[in-house]
Amino acid sequence: MNNLKTTKLNKIIDKVVSNIYLLMTLISASFMLIIIIFILFKGLSPFMSNYQYGVVNFLDFLFGTQYRPDMGIYGVGFIIINTLVSALLALSIAFPISVLTALFVVKIAPQRLSEFMKVVIDLLASIPSIVYGVFAAGIITKFTMTIASMLGVQTYGGTSLLSVVILLAIMIFPTITSISISSISSVSEDLQHASLALGATKVQTNFKVVLLSAKQGIFAGAILGVGRAFGEATAVSMVAGNKMFGPTFGLFNTTRTLTSTMIAGLKETSGLDYDIRFSIGLVLLIIILITNFGLNFIKNKVGKTHEKN
Amino acid sequence: MRKIKDYILNAITYIASGISVLILGVLLVYLLVNGVKSINLKMFSDDYWAKNYLVEVDSDSRNFDSKYNGDDYYIKKYDIAIKDDDKEIVVTYIGENSQFNELKSLTVGDSLGMITPFDVGYKIESIEYLDSNGVISIGGVLLKHNAIEVAQILNENHVNSIYYQSTSGGIKASIINTLILIFVSLLIATPISICSAIYLNEYNSKNKFNQLLSVSIETLAGVPSIIYGLVGITVLFPVTQLFGATTTSVLLGALTMAVILLPTMIKATQVALAQVDQGLKDASLSLGATKVQTINKVVLPGAMNGILSGLLLCVSKVIGESAALVYTMGTFISDTPSLTNQGTSLSLMIYSIMSNDNPNFELACAISLIILVIVLVLNISVKLINYKFNKLGQR
Repeated sequence: MNNLKTTKLNKIIDKVVSNIYLLMTLISASFMLIIIIFILFKGLSPFMSNYQYGVVNFLDFLFGTQYRPDMGIYGVGFIIINTLVSALLALSIAFPISVLTALFVVKIAPQRLSEFMKVVIDLLASIPSIVYGVFAAGIITKFTMTIASMLGVQTYGGTSLLSVVILLAIMIFPTITSISISSISSVSEDLQHASLALGATKVQTNFKVVLLSAKQGIFAGAILGVGRAFGEATAVSMVAGNKMFGPTFGLFNTTRTLTSTMIAGLKETSGLDYDIRFSIGLVLLIIILITNFGLNFIKNKVGKTHEKN
Repeated sequence: MRKIKDYILNAITYIASGISVLILGVLLVYLLVNGVKSINLKMFSDDYWAKNYLVEVDSDSRNFDSKYNGDDYYIKKYDIAIKDDDKEIVVTYIGENSQFNELKSLTVGDSLGMITPFDVGYKIESIEYLDSNGVISIGGVLLKHNAIEVAQILNENHVNSIYYQSTSGGIKASIINTLILIFVSLLIATPISICSAIYLNEYNSKNKFNQLLSVSIETLAGVPSIIYGLVGITVLFPVTQLFGATTTSVLLGALTMAVILLPTMIKATQVALAQVDQGLKDASLSLGATKVQTINKVVLPGAMNGILSGLLLCVSKVIGESAALVYTMGTFISDTPSLTNQGTSLSLMIYSIMSNDNPNFELACAISLIILVIVLVLNISVKLINYKFNKLGQR
């Protein structure tokens, strides 16, 4: 009798506890919904006709080539282009270096050196972005200035597109590398043995077989890296220079990214200048989504053609 | 020919790896060269902003058996020593019985007559004294007096008042704020994360709804932290108002941080839970334990190491976070840490310093070094825990 009671009690406890778990999961998951709803709601409000601080024209906002809060002009068209340019340039620098480093760590380096490189990459990954910002403001800007003066170009204290690109490349390097490492190490041994047996050298196998087989994982790393490059705020804002108009294509010109716009000059917590940051946040989220989809599409395409071969 | 090509390709990978080592090296050297000079024990207990004091000093002569034997300018009358330091006059020694230990404030207000703090490192700005003719005169840095002259004035004249400045550039408040941030955000994030991870791993029947839940949580990890800042200030600010916050506050930062930590912590817990041996769970269940009992007594203890390393990872995430906190905590460096007021964490303090027109690079590098050391120690601990964990698992 007593036994039956405890079983019943246990069953009730089981039910209650599992519902608590579910509730907590709902809370965690609901934040994604909350983020989407609030960014949409707040981000779109400056374009609604009943907006209290003076309506902003949506098209002017999206395609504008001037961002002058002091004159009430909020155009982010050029900022979008700047963001894409800086992130993709950073990716094009970091991607080859990352992949080659990953290949080195997994296949080429002697055991000791490989362990050492893993530690280096881990260290680079664990450095907070604010520390990279200090480094960028202190060293990368000087580096840019030196290059600029060698080429006879003027920079604004080194704050420039080039500085942003170098900074972002450094910051996304460990992300891409560590994912590439795990995808390269999971390439099947049989494939490599087959290649070697067919008379390919070790190096040829590494570059032609291993990298090709690991490319889907490597692409996944690139996607994560680009996401990080888009979302990086504090460090970038220290070296971007926040140009008021654009777009910027010159490497030694100052630039302005979506995140640096969102974070710079934040003083009041109301008014158009504040609300527009949500609109920019919305644009940022949409760009991240689109690039993710685009790169995922490429990734799957690349994966498929490989399978056909 | 083929060999040469192979050599070149191999060399390229060596160069690529060398670049990352070079960057890490340059970064560390830069921080060390600029930061080490500014790091001292005092900065951990000092305020960021200097305080100014106007005080009177007891001029009665006392007998000291002074133990001072330094090379700076010693003032016999008060048993203190001062020196020149970059156009400032800095106190380098204060005797045990010195009159300077009981300076009385002359500032009108509540503090009038109270004893003011005086310590080594403080700067003497100016002195009002009666000169040998009995005329009121002023000496000090303002009149470009150096330490010898100031020492002479203090030794030989009756001093009416002294104006001095406490040391500045300390990070005490930011450290306390960072600790508050870590404590509160983990206090909130940990139970939610562990429960969520248990649900996703142990109760998750593969239906559409559950899949949506886990995809949502995974997507959270990809949202840039600056977006969390925006959402934190709109969604969570009303929550902090219940606790009496009227503006952005440390509490708001901690709540936002808790949300940022959720995906990281859930993922870490999930990985830890997945490594618990399925056979153990089955054994517990078949012995008649309920699912809750199995989770509490078998699964969670088995996953404890993994959860702990997740926690440490979260701590280093809180210490390094800046973008979201700019929105939710403000960038004003406050010397009085409090849950419901604005304040800066260590990272935010760096951001605040660097946003000045004339950034103090040395202080920024010093704080960066401190952050880096903490983060490295945390990461190494995570590695050690995981290493031990894996070893145990192999047995």
